[in-house]
Amino acid sequence: MHLLFHILLFQLFAVSPVATDPAAATGMVKITFVNKVKDQKLALNEVAYTNPWQETYTVRKFKYYITRVAVEKNGDWKTEKKMYHLIDESKPESLSFSFPVPVGNYSSVRFVLGVDSLENVSGAQTGALDPLNDMFWTWNTGYVAAKLEAASPQSKLSRQKVEYHIGGFKGVDNVSKHIDLFFKDAGSLIVKKGSSSEIIINADIDKWWGPNKLSIAETPACNVPGRLALSIAANYATMFSISKIINR
Amino acid sequence: MIQRITILLCSIILLSFILIDKTGDEWKTAPYKPVYLDLKIPPGWPKPALDFFADNRITEQGFQLGRKLFYDGQLSKDGNFSCGGCHQQFAAFAHYEHDLSHGIHNSFTARNAPGLFNLAWSTSFHRDGGVNHLEVQALSPMTAANEMGESLDSILFKLRKDPDYPKLFKAAFGTPDINSQRMLKALAQFTGSIVSYQSKYDKVKAGQARFTPGEQRGYELFRQKCAACHAEPLFTDNSFRSNGLAKDDVLNDLGRMVVTGDVMDSLKFRVPSLRNVQLTFPYMHDGRYYSLAEAIEHYRSGIITTQPTLDTSLRQLIPFSDPDKNNLIYFLNTLTDNTLIKDPRFSPTREMQYIH
Repeated sequence: MHLLFHILLFQLFAVSPVATDPAAATGMVKITFVNKVKDQKLALNEVAYTNPWQETYTVRKFKYYITRVAVEKNGDWKTEKKMYHLIDESKPESLSFSFPVPVGNYSSVRFVLGVDSLENVSGAQTGALDPLNDMFWTWNTGYVAAKLEAASPQSKLSRQKVEYHIGGFKGVDNVSKHIDLFFKDAGSLIVKKGSSSEIIINADIDKWWGPNKLSIAETPACNVPGRLALSIAANYATMFSISKIINR
Repeated sequence: MIQRITILLCSIILLSFILIDKTGDEWKTAPYKPVYLDLKIPPGWPKPALDFFADNRITEQGFQLGRKLFYDGQLSKDGNFSCGGCHQQFAAFAHYEHDLSHGIHNSFTARNAPGLFNLAWSTSFHRDGGVNHLEVQALSPMTAANEMGESLDSILFKLRKDPDYPKLFKAAFGTPDINSQRMLKALAQFTGSIVSYQSKYDKVKAGQARFTPGEQRGYELFRQKCAACHAEPLFTDNSFRSNGLAKDDVLNDLGRMVVTGDVMDSLKFRVPSLRNVQLTFPYMHDGRYYSLAEAIEHYRSGIITTQPTLDTSLRQLIPFSDPDKNNLIYFLNTLTDNTLIKDPRFSPTREMQYIH
């Protein structure tokens, strides 16, 4: 009898932490970035696009850092465990990532485009922040938050080079952008236990050229933190929009 | 029964490891036993302002890996340029007798290679302070087209193929994986461990030696006229200042302004430590002065006092009599750390060929 009591007690304690509280059940959110120019899906090196200033360009590289991703239901934010995602158009596997959230109906997503100042002052990093990824300034320590490289006949640089490496983390030069996207007409994101619903986000390169005028002829390159980088970052902060929500 | 099978299987696996060991792969299964070391903080010195070793505790194994990397030409594109090529121990890890250093393809650097010591107390790196952490400093010379000129990818490729490095990385970090972070951390363990604190000056301060009258007079002059920027005991205050040098129109180096973009930082450079200054000639950010006499003469008669960003403490030339100029040099020579420059712990593991 005594032994049985102990076994029951043990079972009680052993079981209670995994009690099936419906709020604790989790599913996955998959985030997919689709890089575009206006309505066309981006094609590296192949298609010549035209910016609002009638300058043509083909894109060679398009990469940016995403971190602190969170989804929201009724004002309650569920944030991904802190990590960095380097979205790189040349690497299809980099365009999507998933993280677990409690089941429920979510109505918006937010994230930071850029790299927090802490990671800019903490020495050698690894993973998405590995300097191997070519998003790190070695002569003036800091990460490039977003990189757009292109070729354009309007560029006065050699080999028609267009190079926008946008970074800066100190004080007023900080280019990190908080992006909030509401699902609205795309509908709620419904996360069910054990399934993976998806948020598809468009990133439109056409937004890089304005409203702060960025003309290839006038400014074919930006490689340092400062005023120009800030003005380009202000432009590209508007490049994201919700394409659709896929509930599974 | 299942237990017996498990034990049998484990035994077979263990036995196979032992057999592998006999083929010279013992290191693969050797336990990870890091020997922890502490950064030497000489008596009376401040604690380093930034703790570069908080996430990178120095170990004997990490230090030795860093030492091998520091002297390894494989870190450069053509195999000729190791870190130690331009940072020579006998020159207090500066580039002996070179105003500017050489890079691959007969290129030249734009600045004089500084001595490497007491880096753990540095609050930034490079003459313009553009680098904010010891670990990421090495990325710059490794990848600069006019220095070692190599890509990080290729360096790691070469290290992974090398017969020794997987062993050394395992000993230092627990597994044989070779990545940029580990390489940079090991290099930082080596370079950060170079502490210069055993000069005659230090012995005098500790009551173990005495200055000659000339050195004593020079020390007094130093304290009056130089120590505001070259602050003891590190002989630098880590600040950026313009000392009124004429701009070299070929190099066209704007110094600190290159990294801050601020015109008020034009022509400012980091105040260099005067420790080992006897060995680190030529002087100034571009190595324009070959002797201490010339460098001191700049402060006596050469400062361009109309330069807009000139340091306020140098608005007037610093008067020195000729004998006092010599006395100052006598004192500066007491800052030479002969123990450091001969310390076998910091030497190449085998004889090096220096490129001149």
